[in-house]
Formats: sequence, structure tokens, C-alpha cells
Amino acid sequence: MSRFRKELLKGLVVSNPIFILFLGLCPALAVSTSVDNALGMTAGVLFVLLGSNIIIATIRKIVPNMVRIPVFIVVISTFVTVVSLVFQAYVPALYAALGIYLPLITVNCIILARAEAFASKNTIFNSIGDAIGMGLGFGLALIIISFFREILGTGSISIFGTHLLTLPVLGEHPMAMLALPPGAFLVIGLLLALFRRMGVVRSG
Amino acid sequence: MQPNIFKRLYPVILVTLIVLVSAVLLSLTDDITRGKIAEQEVAQVRGMLKEMFPNMTSLTLENDIYTVLENDTTIGYGFVAVGKGYSGEISILVGLENKTTVKGIVIISQDETPGLGSRVAEEPFTSQFAGVDIDDVRLDGEIDAITGSTISSEAIVEAVRNAALEKAESLGE
Repeated sequence: MSRFRKELLKGLVVSNPIFILFLGLCPALAVSTSVDNALGMTAGVLFVLLGSNIIIATIRKIVPNMVRIPVFIVVISTFVTVVSLVFQAYVPALYAALGIYLPLITVNCIILARAEAFASKNTIFNSIGDAIGMGLGFGLALIIISFFREILGTGSISIFGTHLLTLPVLGEHPMAMLALPPGAFLVIGLLLALFRRMGVVRSG
Repeated sequence: MQPNIFKRLYPVILVTLIVLVSAVLLSLTDDITRGKIAEQEVAQVRGMLKEMFPNMTSLTLENDIYTVLENDTTIGYGFVAVGKGYSGEISILVGLENKTTVKGIVIISQDETPGLGSRVAEEPFTSQFAGVDIDDVRLDGEIDAITGSTISSEAIVEAVRNAALEKAESLGE
């Protein structure tokens, strides 16, 4: 059990995929424009990661080394296609907002890296812990980034259509650039600098 | 000899099996979600057409053309036109009030530069199309391009006119 907890917790801070491992930055930069998108992307990534880690850990002993990558890709892309069809059918607005980054979860380095580095060498149980930890760690990072981009870039924040807060001055003159692609780099860079200063992230 | 062949073929068999399982799972998912996805698309178009034709009571779809009905009388048509914008496809819902006049357009999706090309999805540009004769849907006709977004504006105008002419023809005179 303690091993499971260790695998689960490491993804959140110590080996956070975005802030520490720098994996999956491309979708993180692209879909962190609003907290809604961040939550939707997290749900998608978490589901795919969980599914692929479970399957890959299950079949790890019968897959020969030479075909492991094709097998991983088939497993991962199957889960991605399922997520993508389900989103399209039940949450079309989110599907439209995530756009190309939803199918691109297939080649998201977090998922393939976890399959290759963890699930293919560990038990199913620990792989579940790893998937949940990494998925939530990715989500946590995405939510922090998107929180700043949404509140500063649009001047207000809302979650699933429920309006939460509008800033006094920024509400009328938002820093729109933060909601655009350059803003993603700025916010991630500033957050990393801050985390490093606070000692959350140690420099390699 | 026998075990050796099996050993060499094993990876091939395994991958084939995994792909088969994946294909079965995907067709099941497709089967479950297909109806729902089609429904969502129609619901989206229905909402947009309802705004364009407030008197609309029902809608029928045939050959990609929506016929807008008010108590069984045809009051217009709707269809989706796709244009090639500055950074990707722009899909546009076009409403016709009859076979020669545009009722209005709504941009369903676009991927143009935010703040420049994306302004073609906004009211000042889209509202210009209302009541314009199909043949006059041109930048040198009734429609003014958005400054700084000539390519996006042109893409929409061309897509709307060409699709409208084609659909009008298929509706017959």
C-alpha cells in the first residue's frame, strides 16, 4: 500500500509532469486558456493514462520488446479515440474547445513515457497509482496555469458556465495577450521561476 | 522447427490480436456515440437557424440542405459552407430566405488569427450578408472586408456564394 501511495503522490509534486519533467508541454501550453478547458483536458488525459497503464501493465509479460512501441501506440490511441468520441457526443462545447489537442493525446509524451518507463515494468496495482498521480499532477499544473491565464487574460473567471469572479480594473481592460499563445509561455515561465524561488522545484 | 516458426511469428500474431481487440472496442464505441453525435450537430444547427428564422416551427434535412418550415410552409433554407481561411477551414451556416437571397450567416467554427481574422465571426461583418442577392455576395459587391483580414473575409464570401449558387441550383428554380 505504501508503494502505491508513493507512486500516486510522486506525480503531484516531486515528479510533476509539467513543472518537473517538462513532459506534455505542447498541450499544456495550448489548452490552458481557461479553467474549463484545463479540467476537460485533465479528464481526458487521466482516463487515457489510467486505461493505457492498466492494459500495458497487464500484458507487459507477453509483449516482446521488439513490438512494444507499436503495441503501446495501439492501446493508447484506442483509448484516445474512445475519449474523443465520448466528448464529441456528450460535451460538444468542450470537444470544440480542445480541438486537435484531444486526438493528440495519443502522442502526448506523458502517456507514452509512463507506458514505457513505468507500466511496462511494474504491477497493475502500482501502475494505477502512477497513472492517477501523473494524471492529477498534469491536471494540477494545467489548472494553475489556466487559472492565471483566464483571470488575467479575460479579467474574470467562470467554471462550467457559473460565473465566479470579475476583477475590478482588469474586467474592463483584460491583458488579452495572456490568453493568446505567447501568454502561455510567459505564465509557465513565471510560475517556474516562482516555484524555483520557493524551493518547490529544485534545479537539476 | 515448429516452435521456432511460432517464436518468429509470435510478435506478428500478438500485434494482430491487439489491433483486432482495439477495432472491436472502437466499433462498439462508435455504435454507442454515433447517434448522439449526429443529434448534437443537428441541435447546434437548429439553434442557429432558429435565431435566423424566429418563426421557424420545424426543420427537415435532405441532401445536406435544411428546409426551414413555419407550419408546413417553407420559409427558407439552410446549409453549411466550408471556406479555406488564413489558418484552416472556416465553416459557415448559411440561411437563404429564398433561392436567390441570403437571410444571414453564422460562423460555426473558425481558426483565424485572434483579434484580426477572427473578427469575421463577429456581427459587423456577418450582418452584412442579410438580404443580399447571392450574386452580389462579393467583396467588390455588397460585402466589405474586415481591414487586415482580407484573406479570411474573401474565404467566407467565396464559400458562401459558391455554396449558395450550387444549392440554389440543386433546389431547382
